[in-house]
Amino acid sequence: MQQGNTLEKLPLSAKPRDALNAARKSLGSIILGKDGEISLALACLLARGHLLIEDLPGLGKTILAQSIARVLGLSFQRIQFTSDLLPADIVGVSIFRQESGQFEFQPGPIFAELVLADEVNRATPKAQSALLEAMEERQVSVDGHTHQLPTPYFVVATQNPSDQIGTFPLPESQLDRFLMRLELGYPNEENERALLIGTDRRQMLTQIRPTMNPETLTALQQAVTEVHMTDPLIDYVQALVRFTRESPDIETGLSPRGALALVAAARAHAYVENHSGVFPDDVQAVFGPVAGHRLKPASNSAYRTPAELSRYVLDNVNIP
Amino acid sequence: MSKRSGTDGSLLNSLPWTLAALAFSVLPHLQFLPIWVTAIFLACSAWRLQVERKRWRLPPAWIRILLALGCFIGVLASYESVSGVGPGSALLAVMAALKLLETKQRRDQFVLLFISIFLIMSSLLREQYLWSLPYLLVGVLFTMTAWLRMSDTRKVSLGQSIRTGGRLMAYSIPLMIAMWVFFPRIATPFWSVPIDTSSATSGLSDRMSPGDISSLSLSDAVAFRVKFSSEVPPPHKRYWRGLVLHRFNGRTWTGNEPSLDSNARKDITFQGEPVEYQVTMEPTRQHWIFALDIPSDWDLGQTYMAQQQQLARMQPVDQRVTYNAVSYPDFLLDSELSRFSSDYYTRLPDNSNPRAVALAREMREAAGSSEVFINRVLRKFNQEEFFYTLQPPPLGSNPVDRFLFESRQGFCEHYASAFAVMMRAAGIPSRVVLGYQGGEINPMGEYMIVRQADAHAWNEVWLPRRGWYRIDPTAAVAPERIEAGRSGAMFDGIGASWGLNAPSELLYQITMTWDALNTKWNEWILAYGPDNQSQFMEWLGMDDPNWRKMMLTLIVIVIALIAIISLLLIMRYRPPPKDDAALLYRKFTRAAGVEPEMGETPYSYFARLTNERTELTEKAGDVTSLYLDARYGPTELASMKNLENAVTEFSRQKKTRGGRETHSPAS
Repeated sequence: MQQGNTLEKLPLSAKPRDALNAARKSLGSIILGKDGEISLALACLLARGHLLIEDLPGLGKTILAQSIARVLGLSFQRIQFTSDLLPADIVGVSIFRQESGQFEFQPGPIFAELVLADEVNRATPKAQSALLEAMEERQVSVDGHTHQLPTPYFVVATQNPSDQIGTFPLPESQLDRFLMRLELGYPNEENERALLIGTDRRQMLTQIRPTMNPETLTALQQAVTEVHMTDPLIDYVQALVRFTRESPDIETGLSPRGALALVAAARAHAYVENHSGVFPDDVQAVFGPVAGHRLKPASNSAYRTPAELSRYVLDNVNIP
Repeated sequence: MSKRSGTDGSLLNSLPWTLAALAFSVLPHLQFLPIWVTAIFLACSAWRLQVERKRWRLPPAWIRILLALGCFIGVLASYESVSGVGPGSALLAVMAALKLLETKQRRDQFVLLFISIFLIMSSLLREQYLWSLPYLLVGVLFTMTAWLRMSDTRKVSLGQSIRTGGRLMAYSIPLMIAMWVFFPRIATPFWSVPIDTSSATSGLSDRMSPGDISSLSLSDAVAFRVKFSSEVPPPHKRYWRGLVLHRFNGRTWTGNEPSLDSNARKDITFQGEPVEYQVTMEPTRQHWIFALDIPSDWDLGQTYMAQQQQLARMQPVDQRVTYNAVSYPDFLLDSELSRFSSDYYTRLPDNSNPRAVALAREMREAAGSSEVFINRVLRKFNQEEFFYTLQPPPLGSNPVDRFLFESRQGFCEHYASAFAVMMRAAGIPSRVVLGYQGGEINPMGEYMIVRQADAHAWNEVWLPRRGWYRIDPTAAVAPERIEAGRSGAMFDGIGASWGLNAPSELLYQITMTWDALNTKWNEWILAYGPDNQSQFMEWLGMDDPNWRKMMLTLIVIVIALIAIISLLLIMRYRPPPKDDAALLYRKFTRAAGVEPEMGETPYSYFARLTNERTELTEKAGDVTSLYLDARYGPTELASMKNLENAVTEFSRQKKTRGGRETHSPAS
């Protein structure tokens, strides 16, 4: 059931690790100067999480999602969320075929291995929840029939900052379904110059070749869960979680699910970064993206944005 | 104008707790304090709470000063003193209430809670009953909870605060026990607390003026408790001898000040079987010691028998005392009476109670012998219209005449006084004995309770060959008063006011159980005085215990306990001990001379370190990656040896580079 930009599957290198390194390199060549974000995005996907990219328009959100799909060799569909988008536009509809005299399910764009939900907060909550339910359940029910979504399955959603006009901000419970929330930010001078001089990114996109197939990806996802984690590191994670719960600046601290997400993301990041085990650096790298949208600052706190709040937590917890 | 602006309501969460803790600590004092103290306390609390709720302003300084002065004068006026437990606690309560009016911030609440703790403790200066312990524990827990709720800025559930408070208290329990066991008890305390004289109601009066007080208040307070090791004597032999009154001025009977008379004991011939028992006496602040009529031996220090066989201790009984005694209910006392004594014990003031004197003489002549006369007088009490009542009318002058011929209502004092006067008028030596009669057995603890309500007055008359012997004229009027096995008086007082005639069995059970518990409390906790303490110290192996040794032991134990508790806390709140890799890394950061910041990862530390000192990059990088592998990687990768070498190399390079740099910065 792979439709749209179905990619030609290539014979790939036997070693998942090499494939991953190649993928990082390819991505780095398209999205300039965002190595950290690329690592995080890959870590998110390897940890079997969905990714939310939040930033202003024009900062390369779509390009990042598209290139990840290409590099990882995944089928790709893009859903542009608008205020008149209906759930059926996402999951698909059943159409009556006269020749067979039966209803036939016409799968929607959600049935791709990597779905880019663009500007997800432009759509009504009804359409949003159709996507988010599919993300959580990894299956879609239409007319009483349950349709499995493909494996691997990723959703990369992008959203505009919620203070922009015409947005329906995702509720906290929905935000929780994204393993990470990334901000891309502006490129620096040097990279922007390279971007201006270089080839058109969309054209480059068509030229990059997949570095792995779904089997390799599955192997990678398995390998990620086996990354070594020592007691001192678990102590560190616990100290961070405890701090978020006890700090007077934070109203809602990390839930146990949030703590699990933190550990899973840190493992994947350690794997992407080729560390021998999960290092405190990995925890710190993923802490902002994982915890940022899960923490709620106290009403009188000086730390307003997720980034400020994450930094505050990291700066106040000793690494054991 | 900010100085005069209203409160910001920030104390609204913690203030009710502080107030509640304060109220709880004042509570046991209130019944002893003048009513206006309670009024001021309530008024200030309500005022302060309203101030916080309505964002009013606190009263200005001059009002507070005026109030403080007024309260001080009030205490002075109520007590005519500012020292002692009564005025002291009144001052504390009033000043705590006034402190509320200047409580602006958390610090002021701290002060209030300190006062609250102090008030709780000072209630022990008044009384140390069984309920004092739970009260103390609950009070301190209450204050701790208030403290925690005040200090916590986060939203903490009440249960959590109480649990934390309880845990803090639990830490202090070993300390508490050590203090209790080892703090030196000294026979003569370093300090003495002046107790309110008004509250010292217990004990017998050492004079007797029947008719002056028209009603006797019956207190169910315990006078003493007795444990018999031999058979318990029957109710009509339970006469607890206290003091003897032998001087009569027409209205009032008085006795001697307690003094030693070495002959007193020689005058007794003991007969029959002895009764052995142990008495635990509540403090009376008097010298008299009570024993079953008539004591032969007692083991209380500095206690002597006075002239009329009454026991007295040289020091007044300020604390609860326990003593063993042996008594002989059957005895012969003073078989011979000197002419002087005989005169003395028949002396009556001239022209007082003339009708009684005349009646007695008439009856004596009609009777023919003293024995018959005595019986006739007793029969007169028994058969004529005499009533036993606790609310007799006042008698005025010549009270015995008034009593015998007019009112004919009275309690033991009236009968004893009238009887003694009549005996003396007839020439029979007689005197009045004050003490306790009766006592009820507590089935819960197998001991006897003698209450203040059992206080009694009876007579002793002297007859040739029989010596002094006891006659209880009250028994002739109200034999049930003597024969009642159970103290009915207590229920007469309390029960009657409730409209109950007989005490309910349940109430009786509760009262007895409560008293048995109190006895255990006295025996095990309060009786731990100087004697018991030195015995216990010797049992623990301390030679020749004195207060220095105990104090030293206490200090050592306190330090040890604090150390143990601190250690436990450190272990609880400190991260687990650093492993080898962490120690080596610590060595590395020390050698680098740059302290890692809070929350700085090894990589970011490395970046910061080598940002300025690029020449260190290689070795520091080695250390960092080896450390990360050793500490966070799988065990098979951990190589302490390599890490140690890397750290040593780094230190060496740092030293030589550093040295070279100082010598020739150009290179």
